[in-house]
Amino acid sequence: MDQRTSTQSQPTTQPIRLETGTAARTEQPTAGSAWSKDTGAGAAPDRSATRHDVVFQARDVSVHYGSAPALVNVSLAIRQREITAFIGPSGCGKSTFLRCFNRTNDLIPSARITGQIDYHHQNLYAKDVDAVEVRRRIGMVFQKPNPFPKSIYDNLTFGPKVNRMKVDFDEVVETSLRRAALWDEVKGKLKQNAYSLSGGQQQRLCIARALTVDPEVILMDEPCSALDPIATAHIEDLMRELEHDYTIIIVTHNMQQAARVSDRTAFFTAEVESENDDRRFGRLVEIGDTSMIFSNPNDRRTEDYISGRFG
Amino acid sequence: MRATFQAELDRVRDQLVTMTGQVELAMSRATTALLDADYTLADWVIDTDREIDTVKTEIDDACFQLLARQQPVATDLRVIVTALSIAADLERMGDLGAHVAKVAKMRFPESAVPPELRATVLEMAEAAQAVVAKTGSVIAGQDIERAKELEADDDIVDRLHKDLFRILIAETWVYGVEPAIDMTLLGRYYERFADHGVRVARQVVYVVTGVMPTRPPAEWNDEQG
Repeated sequence: MDQRTSTQSQPTTQPIRLETGTAARTEQPTAGSAWSKDTGAGAAPDRSATRHDVVFQARDVSVHYGSAPALVNVSLAIRQREITAFIGPSGCGKSTFLRCFNRTNDLIPSARITGQIDYHHQNLYAKDVDAVEVRRRIGMVFQKPNPFPKSIYDNLTFGPKVNRMKVDFDEVVETSLRRAALWDEVKGKLKQNAYSLSGGQQQRLCIARALTVDPEVILMDEPCSALDPIATAHIEDLMRELEHDYTIIIVTHNMQQAARVSDRTAFFTAEVESENDDRRFGRLVEIGDTSMIFSNPNDRRTEDYISGRFG
Repeated sequence: MRATFQAELDRVRDQLVTMTGQVELAMSRATTALLDADYTLADWVIDTDREIDTVKTEIDDACFQLLARQQPVATDLRVIVTALSIAADLERMGDLGAHVAKVAKMRFPESAVPPELRATVLEMAEAAQAVVAKTGSVIAGQDIERAKELEADDDIVDRLHKDLFRILIAETWVYGVEPAIDMTLLGRYYERFADHGVRVARQVVYVVTGVMPTRPPAEWNDEQG
């Protein structure tokens, strides 16, 4: 269980993630935008910043699917190297909002996003921003483990290959597996098909895969809802480890999970559009330190939801 | 939603109110037993203390089960955590009533209280009684305004406690060492009794507001007495 020990005892596994890229970035003054793809591979933002630096600043973000609003006027900040949990009843827009942070809503033709999301003070939706590069820096893990139907090894080298990263693949595989607390369990069978792993192992493989392309942020959309309590505990321990190096946003239906793993919690609710129309859309009710949200929230609706009185 | 859980929380609160009533009656009768040198009544108070202890155990068990099985948060969590603490305070208040009753029994058939101190003891007992009576309604109604009044009531008890000391250490004290010790202890019992009542009221404020009220620093000095 103690990933802290295993990662710390492997200092040599650190370098592949950052060094080349960060250097390349600072030495390329001609790059008009930090997003242009050719500066990308291996590059990552400076992580020496202090703990409460803001990674994302969302302002008045609304999302519509066609003419129907899914989420209205959400403003909040996501802090660096913290775990932020989004909770709320079904239909409150929390997953929709999560997808805004790596522009996966772009892939849904009817989705329309208004307002602004800044990523390190840069508009994430500006015209010159390369969405593919966004998704490299802001990785995602889904509800159901979705490894590729390939070997464990190939799952982990796929991203670096696609991104044409100049890295030692063996090292990427070992580093990412160690970081995902999976190395000891699979080091002897890297050529086996990923589907031979248990559900919890597959999910940790997906997290490892997200780490191979050296992201800064990891979005997790109910990553434990298909897992048993022990596999869930593994993932939660892992999240606490990853928090030292990554910014994590997690959507969860499991409020105790939000209470256990997150530093800050945002509560969303689903509101009825009008009296004659029972279509619902999401709103942010409040965001605060998780210790506050679960002991003494400001808003009655948060209290009712977390104590199981509605939703 | 969560009707069963809510019913169990309500039941815990009802038990605390019941316990407060038991404690109030016990201390009232202990005072009577003390002033009237009533052995039978003193025995009743000591028996009642055992019943109060039983209720305390029941409340602890219920809270433990709710914590283990319902994963309470926010107000629910504060209700349960404070119920454990309030039950402990009330249980201690019951003990203090029994202590008063034991002093009454020890000096039987005499009264442990010298004639010129009867008025002071009675006044202290009544002030302590007023604290516990309000405590019951504070718990029942989650009444934080009334909870704040208790601080002032407790100040009365503290003042009487000091008055008592002044009499005991004065040159004019003629009753010797043993009654002086009795009176010192009795004064302490009533003073502690009222203090626990105030603690209970503060816990209720915490349940309602989420913030534990702090005692003004000057008053900490009074507690040394």
